[in-house]
Amino acid sequence: MSNSPLPDKGKPIEHFVSTEPFDPLAVEKLTPAQEKYYFASQRQLMWWKFKKHKLALFSALFLLFCYLVIALAEFVAPYDLAHRHIGSIYAPPQGIHFFEDGKFVGPRVYQRVRTLDMDLQKRIYTDNKSKSYAINFFCDGDSYKFWGLFEARKHLYCVEEGGTFFLLGTDKLGRDMFSRIIYGARISITIGLIGIAVSFILGITIGGLAGYYGGWVDVIVQRIIEVLQSIPSIPLWMALAAILPVTWSPILVYFGITVILGLLDWTGLARAVRSKLLSLREEDYVLASQLMGAKPGRIITRHLIPGFMSHLIASATITIPAMILGETALSFLGLGLRPPVTSWGVLLNEAQNINVIVLYPWLILPVVPVILVILAFNFMGDGLRDAADPYE
Amino acid sequence: MSLNIKQFAILTFVAAFSLSASIGAQAALKEPPVLAPLVESGKLPPMEERLPDNPLVVDFKDSDKSIGRYCCTLEMLMGKSKDIRMMTVYGYARLIGFDSNYQLKPDILEKFESEEGRIFTLHLRKGHKWSDGHPFTAEDFRYYWEDVAMNEDLSGSGPPQVLLSNGKPPKFEVIDDYTVRYTWEDPNPAFPLGLAGPSPAYIYKPAHYMKQFHMSYADPEKLQKIVEDGEYRNWGAVHTRLGRQYRPENPEMPSLQPWQNTTKGPSKRFEFTRNPYYHRVDPNGQQLPYIDEVVLLMGSSDLVATKSGSGETDLQARYLRFDDYTFLKQGEDEQGYKVLTWRAGVASQISLYPNLNVQDPVWRDLFQNVNFRRALSLGLNRHELNEQLFFGLAKVGGDTVLEESPLYKEEYATAWTENDFEQANKMLDELGLDKRGEDNVRLLPDGRPMEIIVESAGESLEQADALELIRYHWEELGIKTFTRVLQRDIHRRRFLTGETMMTISKGMNIGLATPDLNPEELAPVSPAQPNWPVWGQYTQTGGKAGEPPSLPSAKRLLELYLDWRKSTNNAEREAIWSEMLEIYSQEVFSIGIARGAIQPVVVNSKLRNLPETGIYSWSPSAFFGVYRPDTFWFAE
Repeated sequence: MSNSPLPDKGKPIEHFVSTEPFDPLAVEKLTPAQEKYYFASQRQLMWWKFKKHKLALFSALFLLFCYLVIALAEFVAPYDLAHRHIGSIYAPPQGIHFFEDGKFVGPRVYQRVRTLDMDLQKRIYTDNKSKSYAINFFCDGDSYKFWGLFEARKHLYCVEEGGTFFLLGTDKLGRDMFSRIIYGARISITIGLIGIAVSFILGITIGGLAGYYGGWVDVIVQRIIEVLQSIPSIPLWMALAAILPVTWSPILVYFGITVILGLLDWTGLARAVRSKLLSLREEDYVLASQLMGAKPGRIITRHLIPGFMSHLIASATITIPAMILGETALSFLGLGLRPPVTSWGVLLNEAQNINVIVLYPWLILPVVPVILVILAFNFMGDGLRDAADPYE
Repeated sequence: MSLNIKQFAILTFVAAFSLSASIGAQAALKEPPVLAPLVESGKLPPMEERLPDNPLVVDFKDSDKSIGRYCCTLEMLMGKSKDIRMMTVYGYARLIGFDSNYQLKPDILEKFESEEGRIFTLHLRKGHKWSDGHPFTAEDFRYYWEDVAMNEDLSGSGPPQVLLSNGKPPKFEVIDDYTVRYTWEDPNPAFPLGLAGPSPAYIYKPAHYMKQFHMSYADPEKLQKIVEDGEYRNWGAVHTRLGRQYRPENPEMPSLQPWQNTTKGPSKRFEFTRNPYYHRVDPNGQQLPYIDEVVLLMGSSDLVATKSGSGETDLQARYLRFDDYTFLKQGEDEQGYKVLTWRAGVASQISLYPNLNVQDPVWRDLFQNVNFRRALSLGLNRHELNEQLFFGLAKVGGDTVLEESPLYKEEYATAWTENDFEQANKMLDELGLDKRGEDNVRLLPDGRPMEIIVESAGESLEQADALELIRYHWEELGIKTFTRVLQRDIHRRRFLTGETMMTISKGMNIGLATPDLNPEELAPVSPAQPNWPVWGQYTQTGGKAGEPPSLPSAKRLLELYLDWRKSTNNAEREAIWSEMLEIYSQEVFSIGIARGAIQPVVVNSKLRNLPETGIYSWSPSAFFGVYRPDTFWFAE
């Protein structure tokens, strides 16, 4: 019986008392890494989670780069928007070479020789291999007014005097396509931001009001949204675009278009905000904080908004590309921006013709940045949405 | 191209060959295969009986044509449904018409006599029949004159312009069944031209068909029923709508054209079948046209180039522009078509028309100021436009006659067309426009920025491209330019009411002018002229609407035009034309850019008898009209 865990009859049970201090968390001991994670702020958590989504990270960096480029558009674009090269109409993209006769010579372009094919009535451009021009960086070219503030002539790159360098070819007036795409980006990718700002302000305020107050405010807002959503969008765009007077300056037209896009877009967001508010209001933790005596303002900002933050971010990142596409589509149809404003939609509008597709395919190149930017926004949105809900 | 009235008086045009001999020599005429069963079954008389006693023998030698065969369908691409009128233009059966040397020759008529330039006697072909087999006689002319032109319900504003000389109508007489005569007090050189034009004056109507819609002949109850069933406004509307000759929309309307419409619109596909009673024959005495059927495919005009490139048309120039040439040429071998390089006959491929009757008083004063118009013209870099739009192959110059015209003088084409920004800016400064506002834009005297809105009917991409460059050019002058594209009808209304400031459109149709052609485009005569619509309206309505021209130069042009209407000899007309061209170019009433551009013509490689080179122009050649599409045929 000696192997019985219990002591013999009548004897006291052996007693052990630890002298060490009591640590209630000893069972779930945190490693320093775990500790860092559990005690991190929400923002930090989001960043960590976002970082793990490599595609989203790259997309974010790419977009950052894009916005940097458009901020410096005048500097990055080698030629001015109005600079027309009469001798280089419909010139195809030019290649760069680094070696001549086996020696490294830095980036250079060959001289372009234009011949006219009288049979096909086509301009034919060939490289003259015996003459080449260097591509310089941070050099002087067309003068511009940087941000409308001061005159400058520096460009990121330009070609040696006497040569031409059209990285992406030229259009029907002999304007450099690369420069036009850069300038076009300035309009095309900011239109999304302005549009989204308009639609967010309207969506959150109106949706928030409807969700928080409920009752007749909610009913009215809901009916307005229903009416707005039932209006077919293309005819409405057409009508609104027709209202914008032709003599408006490009900036005003641009602003008008963004506001039109924004005004049409807020309804979905307002609905989402309202329904989220309504459902979150009934959550236990809201009740708890109410019982603890929190005021409505605190409840909304501390408890409700973070609750649907991820949803807001997701819808924002999906809306921006929709706005960009909206502008492109409107301008492509000739309803949105018009030349001389240059946007990607305007560039594509100029390319909608059989001749371009068959003979001058480089004029369709603005499609590429449109696709890239929209993909980047979608990937980034995906990553952000995952990251915004770090506790899941 | 000499249509001298004196010659007219002496000469009588007789068809070149007498047919009886050639028909007699031939054993029997071969029926077109599509008609043969009808002839056999007795539904249709044989060709010999269908032809007029003295049909028109088309001269094949002169224009190097070959004898063809009856066959096939010719398909053409068109834009909007109104383009159905192109069949009347291309068909080009006229009472008198231009031949390929631009000589006026009788066509539907057997003889056309003129005395003193004011008495015109028209001889019809005996035995000539409408496409439904009913004889075509003097009654059809009488019906038009008495029951249509003089009927207030049908012609509210009186007979058409060409039937008025000095504002007075002619005396109309029926001499016999085949002869009618129009006698004016004053000479009326516009009359024969009006009959020969691409959109001719129809001075005859198929009386036997039209009478059922005419109040004076029809059973009132039946007519009332037609009006109600078709929801027409009144009987006049029925008569007009169903009796259109230029736009052959009514398939039941008898015709004299080589092909007649068989499709009731609206439709995407209009089929025109051969007119079995057509009056022209080939040198062998075989009735024309060779081609059995012509099909117009209506669609978007934007797609015409694409479709032509994939061989979906047999004959196409409409809606093709110079830009499409390279694309079309590349598909040539694969798709079995040829691209011919014709030349455009328009006075300027693209023209800007400042509206001298614009509502805005400040702009009106400017546009009416010759120096302003000149400055605008000097401010265009036409060489760049030519290089960009026409591969540098067109000729830069103003909106005036081409070198091919006997009236051409270099100074017309070059007046105020040499690009000189400095001079232009100086002229604008001198006009008191020297104040500059934001973006260095000039200010109008009342302080508004100078912004010109150029409107177009949106029919040509060429114009849009040109405007893009023009915007850059005028920026150098401190003038901002905007573009607005409108529908043609709306645009027309807008410039007439003075809302339109400037129009971009084709130049005038006087490219190939001769002294005998009507110089009306150079003077304010019609509300359809975008540069002076209100003055034109005044002339057209005889002062009932619009305003008389206020500029001395425009007044002088109108005076000269009226002189031409009264003129009786060639020398007089030449002097009038020269002075008008001189004034028009110097005053820059329209700003021309470049002319003589290449017009690509896509043609099925099996199609014969269409010349390799030609001039593609509305007037006087009616596009393909003078090249006689009824002689075109498909080789096997």
